[in-house]
Amino acid sequence: MRPLDEKETTQVFEKLFKFTGPNLKHLLERPAVEGPDAEPGRYCLRLNRNRVYYASEALVRRATAVSRPRLAGVGTPIGKFTHHGAFHLTVHALDLLAAHARRRVWLKPDTERSFLFGNSVPKSSLARITENTKVGDGVVVMSMADVPLGFGIAARSAQDCRKADTNAVVVLHQADAGEYLRKEEELM
Amino acid sequence: MGKRSGSKRKDKNKVILPPELPPEIDDDEVDLSDEDIAFYATDSSNVAPFRRFDKKSIDRYVGRVAGRDEGEVERLYEERQKRKATESSGKPREDDDGLEVDPVDALPTKTLQGELVYNRAKKARSEDNTGGVKSKAQENGADAKQSIKKDEPKGKSKNKKGDDNKVKNIQSQTEVPKGQLHSNVLEEVKEELSAEELFEKKKAQLAELGMAMLEDPESNIRSLNDMLSISNDKDQKVAKLGLMSLLAVFKDIIPSYRIRQLTEKELAVEVSKEVKKTRYYEYTLIRCYKAYLQKLVSLEKQPHFYTVAVRCMCALLDTAPHFNFRENLLASVVKNLSSSDDVVRKMCCEAIRSLFINEGKHRGEATIEAVRLIADHVKLNDCQLHPDSIDVFLSLRFDEDIGKDETEEEKVKPKKNKRWQKNQEVPKQLPVNDKKKTRQELISKAREEVDVDLRAVSFTLDPKERKRIQKETLSALFETYFRILKHSVTTSNSRTKVNNVSPGGSHPLLTPCLEGLGKFSHLIDVDFMGELISCLKKLSGYSDRQDEIPNDNALSVSERLQCCIVAVKVWRSNLEALNVDLQDFFVQLYNLILEYRPDRDHGEVLADALKTLLWEGKQQDMLRAAAFIKRLATLALSFGSAEAIAALVTLKHLLQKNSKCRNMLENDSGGGSLSCLVAKYNPEATDPYLSGALASVLWELSLLEKHYDISVSSMASNILSMANLNPTQNPVPILNVNPLEAYRDLSMERELLKPTSKALPLNLKKRRRGKEFVALSPDVLQKADCSVDKDELEEKLQSHFAVLRGISENERLRAELNHTLSSVNMYKDYKKQKKKNMKFKTGRKKVARV
Repeated sequence: MRPLDEKETTQVFEKLFKFTGPNLKHLLERPAVEGPDAEPGRYCLRLNRNRVYYASEALVRRATAVSRPRLAGVGTPIGKFTHHGAFHLTVHALDLLAAHARRRVWLKPDTERSFLFGNSVPKSSLARITENTKVGDGVVVMSMADVPLGFGIAARSAQDCRKADTNAVVVLHQADAGEYLRKEEELM
Repeated sequence: MGKRSGSKRKDKNKVILPPELPPEIDDDEVDLSDEDIAFYATDSSNVAPFRRFDKKSIDRYVGRVAGRDEGEVERLYEERQKRKATESSGKPREDDDGLEVDPVDALPTKTLQGELVYNRAKKARSEDNTGGVKSKAQENGADAKQSIKKDEPKGKSKNKKGDDNKVKNIQSQTEVPKGQLHSNVLEEVKEELSAEELFEKKKAQLAELGMAMLEDPESNIRSLNDMLSISNDKDQKVAKLGLMSLLAVFKDIIPSYRIRQLTEKELAVEVSKEVKKTRYYEYTLIRCYKAYLQKLVSLEKQPHFYTVAVRCMCALLDTAPHFNFRENLLASVVKNLSSSDDVVRKMCCEAIRSLFINEGKHRGEATIEAVRLIADHVKLNDCQLHPDSIDVFLSLRFDEDIGKDETEEEKVKPKKNKRWQKNQEVPKQLPVNDKKKTRQELISKAREEVDVDLRAVSFTLDPKERKRIQKETLSALFETYFRILKHSVTTSNSRTKVNNVSPGGSHPLLTPCLEGLGKFSHLIDVDFMGELISCLKKLSGYSDRQDEIPNDNALSVSERLQCCIVAVKVWRSNLEALNVDLQDFFVQLYNLILEYRPDRDHGEVLADALKTLLWEGKQQDMLRAAAFIKRLATLALSFGSAEAIAALVTLKHLLQKNSKCRNMLENDSGGGSLSCLVAKYNPEATDPYLSGALASVLWELSLLEKHYDISVSSMASNILSMANLNPTQNPVPILNVNPLEAYRDLSMERELLKPTSKALPLNLKKRRRGKEFVALSPDVLQKADCSVDKDELEEKLQSHFAVLRGISENERLRAELNHTLSSVNMYKDYKKQKKKNMKFKTGRKKVARV
């Protein structure tokens, strides 16, 4: 387990920034709630076996006691580095993103399932969208009951959605809560 | 006035002088100068006074002169003069013609030498008016005979004292040089004949002219000229009266059509007498109307006539928007829309409003013109105008059905046209054979002509035309609105550093502009939408960098709230199909609630914002709803009852829609599994998603239950009862109104209750408040805020802080004192103990020794 180097940090932050925008600051500066310490400090990012973890400083301090090969993980995983060195957010980051994201998309109740099976969001299943969404923004996909289902990248701006065809893809799928079932072994 | 007084003076000269006349001269022997004869012959007004003389009394005077002293004679003359003045005021028509003189002509009358010059000009002028066709050659006096002939019958027919006239002519001629001797007398007489009488006289004259005009405008159209000349009077009162009576006359006689210039062809054609008469009537009317308008425009620049002129123009615009010279009227009225004079501004606004509302009068053409003019006006003045000038747009009306009608008609029309073409083409091929078809053609042609005529006559426009007009009006309207928005965006950015105290001072037009945008939001083109929304977002003070949200905007809180309202309205009315979440504006509202101050900002705007954004909004997501619920509860607790009820109504609505948020009503904080990542409530968070409101408890409600206002307290308890119900159940509604209505009701009640609450005995009030009042009553707050002026405040603050400083100083000193005291004590203890120890030791030693 080690802190991210500069290049990795920029990669991770860029990805997160797509979703959170200026809220990224809150993500990193909020007081931690994990760990047994009375003053848990803040959250930090750690890299362990190509996976990036989001953990409180208290946890990290304790985790240093565990030897590297035996440490399975610490805190919340938020993504991984591929063999090519690219960074991908994984579905574990969903809660974190849902709380801090600026753009959201709400799905019609009967089309949630399609998204949870790993498909992208067509315009027909769109119930609501945040106003100033632009192409390439990260959006969190929610159900109408405000349960975060997954996240993806906006393929159309909110303005264009109006004119778009009913089958046109609005959000490109990146991760969804269905992966917990579909890719159970990959996730851990 | 000059000419009038001049003529008076002349009259008096002539009247007073008879005593000095050599009585021997006979009528026949006197040789009259041509000029004199011409003057008296043509101008009835100059003759009129003489006609009324009774010969006897004159003779008496003439005979008596020698023995009498001049004072006596003067007195008598003065008396007579007065009598005459009152008489003549009853018959203003008679000498009216004599008044028809240009100011230029009137000038020479001031000197006695100039009298003749004046008379000539007068004569020429009056003949022009009366004869209409007469040439000006008469000025030369060469045709004096002719005028004598003309005059004599007149004189005879009127009072048969032609001879007398002649006598007096002679007399007057000889009088002239001696006038100077009596100048002092003249002065007195003039004073006697006070301005009041003159004024009365002119008033009566005006009234008579006006009545005559209204009775039979066609034949009396010429008296418009006379009225115009009266309104040229030097006396401001008279001139104003003239203007107003002209206005009344024009209001009545202006026809319901527009008078157009006659073409040459039409002029060339011989016409009947009646047509000629109408043409002449119309021509005169137009000429006078034009002169009148010119006069109004020129008078508008003079401060005395400003109000009157504007009033006349507004009334004219109101009654005759279809008539000629509308453009000029409109231009000057629009210019005065932003006048600094309240009365004038109100009048202009009313005029323009009625123009917009009564489109039937002018088929909407004037509307476009007015809107365009206002747009230009705004552009020219760089958006620094009085808000009223934009406010008038609110009374514009747009017909939404026009578009639909038109499309339907277009679908139908091509068919018709084809049929027409067929009808027209077929007969050409078979011109002679088919008589039926030709007949049909004839019929259809006739019908077409009739249709065209009908359309020309009737005031209703065909939908196409109306649509065009409406389109242009709309584009001008939105051009104005967008210009104002852009202007406020650019200036507010540049002025951020200058902290302007007066809200709305820098953008006077923004508030009405936003109102208008809200009203016409459904008419905005979707393509403008993105830019408009981003503009509004900037204005509402939202910025991506959340640290900068406060203090980054020169606009007042109410204006920013209004921006949010308008944005939501615009979006809602245009893109209802696509449910878009205007998150940024909600965030903005969330922050603005904290910045609201009841005295500074308009509570109604806040209530409206709550209504549009939260109460009417379809769906709120849970986190945001929770954050708003918490913030609204805080708001309800800190402000007056009206704000509180508005907040509570919204809060209840939110709780009803988001049943999950109801666990905020439970008594344990933490929020359980629902409170997502933020475990602790942060009341100052700028982002509703990060406030962690779900982890909080709505303790404010139980305090509000004890609110002094019954409606607020009952509302609070009603909301609290929701905690015990199923998520699907809703409590019995006690107040089924939206926040805005609730706010209005309560604020009205507050106004009504003010006196009674003051009447309460003070100690009772105090006791009550001490017992159960949770919030300060708004009256007390207002009083406390209003009654303090700056110096007093400064003084009080100074003394307050001086006391505070004194206290802290005192505390510090006391602490020091305590410290030293304790150290002294400790030292004493230490010494004592040392002594004891010493004793002990010595004791022990002693013991040891022992």
